[in-house]
Amino acid sequence: MKKATPKKAKTAVKKIAFHMIYILLCFIALVPILYALNISFSGKGAALSGSLSILPQNPTIEHYRTLLIDEPFLIWLKNSLLLSAGTIAVAMVCTIPAAYAASRWRFKGRRALLQSLLVLNAFPQVLSLFALFRVLKITGLLNSHMGLIVIYAGSMCVFAIWNMKGYFDTIPREIEEAAKIDGANDGQIIWKIVMPLARPATIVTCVMVLITVWNEYLFSTTFLLDSSTYSLAGGLYQLQSNDYSRSWPIFSAASILTSIPLVLIFFKIQKYMVSGLTAGGVKE
Amino acid sequence: MTRKQKLKPWLYITPALLLILIVLIFPIVYTGYISMTNMNMYHWNDYDFIGFSNYIRALFKFDSGFIEALLTTLLWTVINMFLQISIGFFIAVGLNSTVLKKAGRIYKTLLMLPWAMPAYISILLWRVGMFNTEFGVLNKFLTLLGLDKIDFLRNNGIAFCSCLALNLWMALPFMISTIDGALQSVDSSLYESATLDGAGFWVSIRYITIPAIKPIIAPAAVMTTFITFKQFDIVYLLTQQRGYMTGANLNTVITYAHQNAFVSNNYGLSSAVSMLLFVIIILFSFITNRSLREEQA
Repeated sequence: MKKATPKKAKTAVKKIAFHMIYILLCFIALVPILYALNISFSGKGAALSGSLSILPQNPTIEHYRTLLIDEPFLIWLKNSLLLSAGTIAVAMVCTIPAAYAASRWRFKGRRALLQSLLVLNAFPQVLSLFALFRVLKITGLLNSHMGLIVIYAGSMCVFAIWNMKGYFDTIPREIEEAAKIDGANDGQIIWKIVMPLARPATIVTCVMVLITVWNEYLFSTTFLLDSSTYSLAGGLYQLQSNDYSRSWPIFSAASILTSIPLVLIFFKIQKYMVSGLTAGGVKE
Repeated sequence: MTRKQKLKPWLYITPALLLILIVLIFPIVYTGYISMTNMNMYHWNDYDFIGFSNYIRALFKFDSGFIEALLTTLLWTVINMFLQISIGFFIAVGLNSTVLKKAGRIYKTLLMLPWAMPAYISILLWRVGMFNTEFGVLNKFLTLLGLDKIDFLRNNGIAFCSCLALNLWMALPFMISTIDGALQSVDSSLYESATLDGAGFWVSIRYITIPAIKPIIAPAAVMTTFITFKQFDIVYLLTQQRGYMTGANLNTVITYAHQNAFVSNNYGLSSAVSMLLFVIIILFSFITNRSLREEQA
């Protein structure tokens, strides 16, 4: 008994120390977000005041009201949704047949093709900005959502092909053979048999495309020149480059509203994120 | 095989290939072409072919700034990877310790939040909400302590540290999550027998944990190294937004190429640098892929 007490005390101290360290770490992780939340609900002048409080001072939803009514936030939201949906549609329609071909048929140049796709991905996207600007200008797609959709879809192509192909590889061919004997053509096999089986991979690929489009700011602020075509990224970018003292609370509110859907989706698919991100690079 | 059957796979691949041709291949070819010319703001349309002079200028004339940016980027990558892996490792080990019990999972979920946020929003929130001299939490905190305010983006040294802190904040969740997953795959009976043999915490870490998780986290670490090397958003949004230069003139290789194209309109040099980076990254991926494969074989 006598021996056990100091040991118990030691464990208790260790336990408290651990919890304190982790509470501090979580606090560090959350501070910028909590502060944005706080400012977005605080009354005028809170952003500039010297005091720091955990809860908003003079709580108000004024900034959210301004954002939704006076600022074109809803138009930006609509544009972002449009861009995301368009990119997902174009990317999936183009990459599913390609991924299926690369998974099922052994044709000449297949391996070289798949490998060279990875090499292409080594070129940092930021550096294509100038060349893509020229492409859009020549084709007259500058300042249009269609132009951005093509660019986003193209930049997600390599990931989508590798991800979908990897999953198609795990689906046994025997299932398709049976359908073929019953007279189904390739289109029917892909649409009616393979795609329902590949649903998990399809969802993950679509969500990754969605996240990428939602988070992209450089192309959308460079290629969309008119504030009515702005996506959320363009709108938020403009808000923050205005006069801070007026727009910082509104920017905080916009940041919160823009992040919420993504945070929810993220936690829904988090377990796929790690495997989905690292898979393509090392396989084959 | 008939001719039709031979063509069929390519028919299926064509739409994707077309997209890739426009969005990925054309920019690379075009950049390669421009890199051989003197295209800049004085020679916008009437640019001439000048061979490899842009490459020579980038690599051998120190005042071009490329070598400096490259060294900064290497330093940035090394420091980041060292801190990310070591801090991530200890946080993940702590999360898995028996002391925290179920609370560990709650802490982990909260720690993942910075990863879930859109990157540009996080950066802009940090720029004003943390680093700004009037609105920033850090400066409000310093004022409360009675200290002087600090402009966290004033010069290269402090801006480098600010960018580093922000990058750690954004990138650690992925590292913690990866290492946490790897730790949970380690057979716990190994630790029990080690404890029975009298091994302490550090000995177990050194001889059981690290060898067991190394092959699992290696691919993730390599991927993060590339992402860190190619970091653009943090440096750009924190210190070089158009009209909001902060006084720091910090450049990673990518911001250097971007700045040369869009600020000083030196497209030829910028393109040459882009092509050099492309080659560096490809070489580096071949080397790491090979060593990863050897390690796993």
